[in-house]
Amino acid sequence: MLAIEAVNLVKVFGSFKAVDGVTLKVEEGVIFGLLGPNGAGKSTTIRMILGLLKPTSGSIKVFGIDVEDDRSSVLKITGYMPQHFSLYEDLTVEENMRLYASLYGLNGRETEERILELLDEFMLKEFKGRLAGKLSGGMKQRLSLAVALLHRPRLLIVDEPTAGVDPPLRRYFWEKFRELKKRGVTILVTTHYMDEAENCDRIALMSKGKVAAEGSPLEIKRLAYGGDIIEMVVAGNPREVLKETAAKVLDFEENGSYSRVRLLVPDASEYLIPLTRELEAYNVKVVRAYPVSLSLEEAFIRLTTGDGVSS
Amino acid sequence: MMGALVALMIKDIKQLLRDPRSLLMVLLMPPAVMAMFVSGYGEERSEVPIIVVNLDEGAISWQLIELLRSSGSFKIVAYAPTMEAGIDLVRRGEAYAALIIPEGFSESVMKGYSTKIVTVLDAAYAMISELVWQAAVIMVQVFMKTASEMYGTFYIEVVRQTVYGPEVRSVDSFTSTILGVLLHLVPMSLIAVSISRERERKTFEQLIMAPVSGWQIVMGKFIAYALVTITDMVAVFGFAVYVLGVRVSGPPTVLILVSILLLLCSLSLGLLISAISRNQLQAYQAAIFFFIPSMLFSGFFMPVELLSPSTRAFGRVLPLYHFLRAFRNVQLRGWGFRDIVPECLSLLFETLIFLAAAIRLLKLRVD
Repeated sequence: MLAIEAVNLVKVFGSFKAVDGVTLKVEEGVIFGLLGPNGAGKSTTIRMILGLLKPTSGSIKVFGIDVEDDRSSVLKITGYMPQHFSLYEDLTVEENMRLYASLYGLNGRETEERILELLDEFMLKEFKGRLAGKLSGGMKQRLSLAVALLHRPRLLIVDEPTAGVDPPLRRYFWEKFRELKKRGVTILVTTHYMDEAENCDRIALMSKGKVAAEGSPLEIKRLAYGGDIIEMVVAGNPREVLKETAAKVLDFEENGSYSRVRLLVPDASEYLIPLTRELEAYNVKVVRAYPVSLSLEEAFIRLTTGDGVSS
Repeated sequence: MMGALVALMIKDIKQLLRDPRSLLMVLLMPPAVMAMFVSGYGEERSEVPIIVVNLDEGAISWQLIELLRSSGSFKIVAYAPTMEAGIDLVRRGEAYAALIIPEGFSESVMKGYSTKIVTVLDAAYAMISELVWQAAVIMVQVFMKTASEMYGTFYIEVVRQTVYGPEVRSVDSFTSTILGVLLHLVPMSLIAVSISRERERKTFEQLIMAPVSGWQIVMGKFIAYALVTITDMVAVFGFAVYVLGVRVSGPPTVLILVSILLLLCSLSLGLLISAISRNQLQAYQAAIFFFIPSMLFSGFFMPVELLSPSTRAFGRVLPLYHFLRAFRNVQLRGWGFRDIVPECLSLLFETLIFLAAAIRLLKLRVD
């Protein structure tokens, strides 16, 4: 089942097209990353999915429910953690949780259980009497996530959870997201940190209000480069021999009696061994061969500047 | 040094110009208030409604009445047959004063005796009473001067009587005014910033992600603010009556009821402002902007009857108008609950209208 099905979303602010024909299909049970630099239209997109902003055109369904028609049903199964801390700073940790428990319609016993559970899970037990405004940045973020999870949502939407957050907490959040995924929660997360996006099952790259590419992190990279990259160190100068193989030579660097080559192949894990064997069949000695790990960041830049898309 | 000053000045002008709603309010306020003031007060002074009781049989009394009628100061709304009937009309608030011309007035004038006319003033409206009194004295002087040319010398004494008197102290007559400010402007501006503050602090964004409805948000705030401000209001009221010794002729419970109704009306109006304002500053300005005409046209300074007809109609829909009328009638005239039911219903009705509009106009979005 599709957790989110957004079709052809457009949002115009005055003369500025913040979102320009975005279509997103998020399968249930995945961590879906919405990536892109600031101003790419990520927040606007998720705000439309949540019904916080009315799209100029396009339709959005969450678990088959139309957000425009029946927003309150959508809200009951959706948790939202906004980019900026948006709970009441003049209420305590526990008071904030109790307020939202009531708003989500939890009964007395559920409220008690759930609050205890979440205070424990998010290490907030000893701060439950503290005003939310007096919490540290990290504690605020944890409280914010805890409140988003009070009503056990099937879909969790998180806007830039790691902006301005220190590395241990970033790691903590991603571990949490994976844990939630195991419990069956679908997660839509926006971020502009490309390295974090490796944690996502699928990602959509946004740029200037459009989806530039969509797929698993691996697919995105292959899309950007036209395949995987393998690096080899071989004896001699087998430039001519390499032309006979299925690989495309990206880079060739002769260094004494050895050469270092970078090859482009459709799939590194499939091609690495056969390619090695093939070269050895041509009597080229392969000293080392390994896949090169590419960063999403480079892939993103290639995709959005138009370098890789055509190839 | 001057470069920095100019740069800062330009920045501030730009910021002002880029918040058109606030700017509009700031720039519009002075001319709008002046226009309102002129339309309400600038025309020829309206006439004070009075009652005339003519017990005299002769013709000379009618000359005096004609002089009063054409003076531009008075509007004779009724002629009462007896002194009691005239005083009763004043008591019921039909006019601010009754002028009583005694039996044998014409005869006394013709014979050159001294006679009198009695002005019965409504002490509950001290300012108007004073106005009527002064005008009556002047008119009688004018009449003596012109009439003496025809009838020879005589003397008319103007006798002063009051209903709801004898004298109303300033503190008594200002109680309603002060309470009007406290119960209208203060709660209105307090609650007006409440929703826009949530928008500014982003808590609104989280709040509307929970399955809540607009009416729950509006009524939640309404009831919370009502509970807190009613407590405060009762304390202010108690302080005025028991510590300052403000005179209360009618039942205090009715005064408290009227005050609570105004308070609720102010809160609902404030919520309406809050629902449509984008930020706290705008909401605050709008509350003050609304309060100014309220102050000018609700009987705060001058009874509504003395304003020009168009402004009078406007004044009669203001919550403060209903409050001041009901409150003064109970406090100074000693009226009871039954007498002020129409004002109470008006306040209640307006409260419901404002609340419904606030709920209707509150957008659960963050545009």
